[in-house]
Amino acid sequence: MKKILIIAGVFFAFLITSFALQSAGVVAYPNLWTLHVNFAGHPIRVVDALVVSIIASISIMIVLLVFMLFNRTKLERREKLKQKLLVIFQGSILSYLQSWSDHEHYYNEIKSLLISKFRKQLLIDQICDISLNAKGDTSANLKKLFFDLELHKITYRKLHSGHWHKKIQAFKELYALNITDKNQVIYKYINSKNDILRMEAQIALVDLAKETDANPFEFLTNLHHPFSLWEQITLHQIMVQRELNVPDFGQWLFHKNHTVQMFCLRMIREYKQINNQARIKFLTFNEHPAVRKLAYEVIGDLGLKNVMAEVKYNYKDEPQDVKLEMLKSMTKSPDSSLLNFLHNIVDTEQDADLLIEAVKAIHSMEGGDEFLKDMMSKEYKNYNIIIKHVLDHRIN
Amino acid sequence: MLFLVSFIFFFTCTLLICYLALGIFSTSALRRYTYKNSFVNYNEIATSPLAPNISLVVPAYNEEKSIIHSVKNFLGLYYSNYEVIIVNDGSTDNTLQLLKNEFSLEKTNYFFDYKIPCEKIKGVWKSTKPEYKKLIVVDKVNGKCKADASNAGLNIAKNQFILNMDADGIIERDSLSKLIKPFLEEKKHKVIAAGGVIRILNSCKIENGVIKEINLPKKFFPRMQVLEYTRAFLLGRMAWSELDGLLLISGAMGMFDRKTMIAAGGYDASCLGEDMEAVVRMRRYMAEKGERYVVTYIPDPLCWTEAPSSLKDLKTQRVRWAKGLVDVLKKHSVMFFNPKYRNLGMLGYPFWLIFEWLAPTTAFIGMIYTVFLAVTGAINWPFFALLSGFIYSFSIFLSTWSVLFEELTFHKYRNKMDVLKLVLTSFVEPFLYVCIAWFSVKGNVEYFMGKNSWGKLKRGM
Repeated sequence: MKKILIIAGVFFAFLITSFALQSAGVVAYPNLWTLHVNFAGHPIRVVDALVVSIIASISIMIVLLVFMLFNRTKLERREKLKQKLLVIFQGSILSYLQSWSDHEHYYNEIKSLLISKFRKQLLIDQICDISLNAKGDTSANLKKLFFDLELHKITYRKLHSGHWHKKIQAFKELYALNITDKNQVIYKYINSKNDILRMEAQIALVDLAKETDANPFEFLTNLHHPFSLWEQITLHQIMVQRELNVPDFGQWLFHKNHTVQMFCLRMIREYKQINNQARIKFLTFNEHPAVRKLAYEVIGDLGLKNVMAEVKYNYKDEPQDVKLEMLKSMTKSPDSSLLNFLHNIVDTEQDADLLIEAVKAIHSMEGGDEFLKDMMSKEYKNYNIIIKHVLDHRIN
Repeated sequence: MLFLVSFIFFFTCTLLICYLALGIFSTSALRRYTYKNSFVNYNEIATSPLAPNISLVVPAYNEEKSIIHSVKNFLGLYYSNYEVIIVNDGSTDNTLQLLKNEFSLEKTNYFFDYKIPCEKIKGVWKSTKPEYKKLIVVDKVNGKCKADASNAGLNIAKNQFILNMDADGIIERDSLSKLIKPFLEEKKHKVIAAGGVIRILNSCKIENGVIKEINLPKKFFPRMQVLEYTRAFLLGRMAWSELDGLLLISGAMGMFDRKTMIAAGGYDASCLGEDMEAVVRMRRYMAEKGERYVVTYIPDPLCWTEAPSSLKDLKTQRVRWAKGLVDVLKKHSVMFFNPKYRNLGMLGYPFWLIFEWLAPTTAFIGMIYTVFLAVTGAINWPFFALLSGFIYSFSIFLSTWSVLFEELTFHKYRNKMDVLKLVLTSFVEPFLYVCIAWFSVKGNVEYFMGKNSWGKLKRGM
């Protein structure tokens, strides 16, 4: 605050001094009317600059307004045309797919409609949409139609475009139509600096793997960039929707990129790959707290009881959120050999969240309720309020 | 005298150039966002089992008119893992009773820590009906400010992310997916907060807490604020987010990393601009710890709120904003041109100090001075007209630019006439700046005289 007051003080002192000096006639400031500003060696009158600015502002404003109104009309018209063309394209494509003998006729009909870039792109979108849910012959015929109409040239052009969003459009078209010829080009973008491009390249490769025997997550091996949770969620959803072959994610559990390790932990949990138990246990010693926390979470979710009994000694050195996850794991996979350990935590911890989780863990174990009753009867620490919270079925 | 004129003139020119620069940054950020967003499928996050848990914290004080519809709106959001915490801040009306009756609430044995100090929490209530299991109602002693109620909510919340919002705001169904996305995209920099665009609800048709029809406000003051909000959110905040100098996430709706917020001390109950103060303090906390972080901003319209519809209400709001701004700037003055705080200290803070705080005062002095010159006959009328024309045309240009952004991105106002009306409003809006500047000066005067009450706003809902 002092700094601001000093600056404000200096500013106002300067203002008053200048004002006084000018009033006394000691200093004369130039008239703004005649003031010239030096611009690239040319003196420009302030007044001229103001007039130009006014004209420019009003002109741009009018241009923007006209553009907005025309753009609105254009978009409305385009939307109408789009709806009309979609019905026509849809009908023609379906007729093409259903006719065994008269392919040529419908092919020519569709081709005659392709008189502009807009229409070609609309047809590509339509073919892609149908192809996403198509299988067998239908899928092959759609692909044939796409190539016969030479629409693939548009897609390939976009793939090599300088604009990242066009490249992504191409990825989407390639995987919608199961075109694997350009996988090597897509693979180049796995470590792109552009995070959106990188993610879409991953999606494309995972999706296209369904057409080949390749491991859909092979790209993980060479992934250097952080693998965000957003990317992980998206890829997981694709795996679920496309019913892809699930690889053993244990193979990347010791990847040098800890975000890849986290993805694998999540997938091991989702696909219950319990065979990786020893590796998961090893990750509870990982240098990244986020990895350790997730490893404990997975241990709990997979019900790996004996692991918790072995790693409970790490508890005291862990940060609060990792401790919390350890306790949650103990609740999810109860092991009564941990009762005394948990009792000790309730006695020593101060944090409400840790206390609640420790009591929950006790409650989940065999003989836990008796243990809690015994704790409630002890006078030296009031456990009642925490135990009541845990036993209240409306809260949990 | 010419010195004063020169100062006001060059100050204005610098301000307008800054706005122009912000507009350019904003254009680039919006363009990138629009392209990026066109490839996003928000259904994936909303339904994914990997999606993180979110706690909505909603302070409510005397909200009996709207609370039931609001809670239904919050409970109907399209996201799988979230809870809604309504904090009844000692309401003197029937807010709590209405909630109890409508959602069949029962008092529970909820155990929690006062991790952040707040007034006494009298009880935590939950519904007996399974369909409302996401709802938690906290009843507390009135803390005389929203910050205290928000802190109570923070103490009760258990999830990793907090969405703090106003009880009278209407939230879009996919808001949670959109706001959580920046946190999920986190790479090398920790995302500590994210904000979205707030829109004006006046004249919109609402049914059961859901917006059925979006309309441009019929009254002038709310319509003027539509323009103001569009400019502030799409031109200003978007650019500041790009420049890593964002100081404010609107109190009407913002998502925060709970752990960082608690570590930074939660909301400051003694501050009048608690929403801005919380963001600045979180940023200071991270910078002082030497951790890499970002505060992000997304241009999607996510929350709709009612704007003051009379000059009196507008005055109450703006006086409060002015007090809040000066309070925050004063509390965090150490950041002023301090390289330790990176762009926030070198760009964001100085801009808010010089242009957001000082500009209305400078403008007001300029106006008074103009009147003085006019009365004494010393005014140079042609130059005055030229200067006024310059400022007027530039402000209309900026407003039209922001309306264009809205048109090219989200175009929420479907009627073509609405766009035209909005642009026409920008022709009248500059004349109201006299009042806005006066409210700001009044807020500053009251603040320095120690009159720091919140003031009451009348809601039409």
